[in-house]
Amino acid sequence: MWCNVESIKEFINAEKPSDYYERLLAELSALNREYHPFNLINEGLGKHGAFPFSTKANICVKGFETTAGSKMLKDYIPPFNATAVERMFGAGHFTFMGETNMDEFGFGTFGLNTETPARNAFDSDFVAGGSSSGAAVATATLKYHVAIAESTGGSIATPAALNGVVGFTPTYGAVSRYGLIDYANSLDKIGVMSRSSADSRLVFDVIRGIDKYDTTCSAAEITCSGRSTLFTVKELMEHTDPAIKSEFGRLLDKLGRDYEIREISVEALSKAIEPYYIIAMAEASTNLAKYNGYKYGFQYPETNLKYNDFFTEARSEFGMEAKRRIILGTFIRSESVKEKYYTKALSVRGMIIREMSKVLRDGYIISPALPIPTPKVSEAERLSPTQNYAMDIFTIPPNLGGFPHITFPYGKKSGMPIGAQLITSQFNDYSLFEFVEKWEEGFSMQYRHNLGSI
Amino acid sequence: MEEKELERLLKTSRLKASESEKKLIRADVSEIISFFDRISLVDTEEKPAYHPTDVQSRLREDEVLPFQDVELMKKGRKMHNGYFVGPRL
Repeated sequence: MWCNVESIKEFINAEKPSDYYERLLAELSALNREYHPFNLINEGLGKHGAFPFSTKANICVKGFETTAGSKMLKDYIPPFNATAVERMFGAGHFTFMGETNMDEFGFGTFGLNTETPARNAFDSDFVAGGSSSGAAVATATLKYHVAIAESTGGSIATPAALNGVVGFTPTYGAVSRYGLIDYANSLDKIGVMSRSSADSRLVFDVIRGIDKYDTTCSAAEITCSGRSTLFTVKELMEHTDPAIKSEFGRLLDKLGRDYEIREISVEALSKAIEPYYIIAMAEASTNLAKYNGYKYGFQYPETNLKYNDFFTEARSEFGMEAKRRIILGTFIRSESVKEKYYTKALSVRGMIIREMSKVLRDGYIISPALPIPTPKVSEAERLSPTQNYAMDIFTIPPNLGGFPHITFPYGKKSGMPIGAQLITSQFNDYSLFEFVEKWEEGFSMQYRHNLGSI
Repeated sequence: MEEKELERLLKTSRLKASESEKKLIRADVSEIISFFDRISLVDTEEKPAYHPTDVQSRLREDEVLPFQDVELMKKGRKMHNGYFVGPRL
């Protein structure tokens, strides 16, 4: 029995003023000036009472500039819709609201690797989280809206948690990646953010399923096999800030009424960050090779330059983190060290998948989404690259292994939302919605903004 | 990372960097590679997992399919006789 808090159905059936979408557009512009959730707002929003959805700026929408937050893709107007977008339009009751802000190509944990970073929906001094920063901020500020987002290593879970919304990352291959501007093909997953679990489930049902345009897309049945045990992993919890640990402990006390809680040791999970970044950078460096300054996106005007000089000049438009990842990815794929880093990372991934699959047969894995309280923008800017990567300790294991996971809000710490992450077996995605719906019966997040209320 | 190695990587990946950027990149990259080196401590004989799930190759018939919207693809592009204009060879 699904919980009846689907705002999508509520909205579609509600009487709305005739100028509803016009007013909403005006409110959105004002919102964008302070929080920057949108890279692009669709001025043609709204038709026949349809429900607004946004897309992360790395998901192609026909006729709308789609840049993945990169100057290298400036002016790129896709001539086609991503499959997920095509299915949203095909469902008939959704209207396209715009494209959401993100770290360039998805390279970031806090949403800061972009020209104008999105700000946290609860306090604009704080980070929004990344890389689907705008998707989370839009979800936390708009009363009626769902976001199509994307995760490679935690890009849905982290911003969703920091903005107090539900963030769902499906099993790898459950949703087609056709039309997604790739970061790392073996890790990228299109997912959903919403204010309730039921809305995410509804959108997941619209966008999922086999697609002839994505050969990695799976036809496997999605199950709803609930578990009665919640595992916490000792090796991961050791790296958690005491303030988050104590809040999370209170959540476990509440959940302990319905679930058996057990702390276990899974050493393999503490080995996930290195293979993740090795695989992600190796794949990213090959994906970014196609941005050449003339076929699409940014056009470098000096076509009289020598062949290699032209590409080198044109590719200056990449941001610093993108350059860093291209260089590292190229290094990792070098003949002399490929075995040492890349092939080894794939083996460690195999080991982690095997170990996690074993654990997840008997229960869910639960953890905080982020090991520290939400940092201020100024604090996050001071972190070194490896300190940044360490922030992904909880979100990387499920992303590396393609396991479905969901982030849900469970409270606030000093006025900022905090979220927990639940992981289950591959293709058991529905059980996550069931779990969170039960949690939502006794908890609802109070948002600071509710734009578009009726 | 040696300066020579960074130059090789920049050339291979068709990127350029100013002297100050190079200094920053070398420091960062060295820190990250030391971090990656920890992977050698993991003892495993596991088969490499190229995909997280069991991906089965699906092939389609080798036939020409019409592209959706060629005109939109050309929009705003520098074109010559139906070709994209790129650098000279």
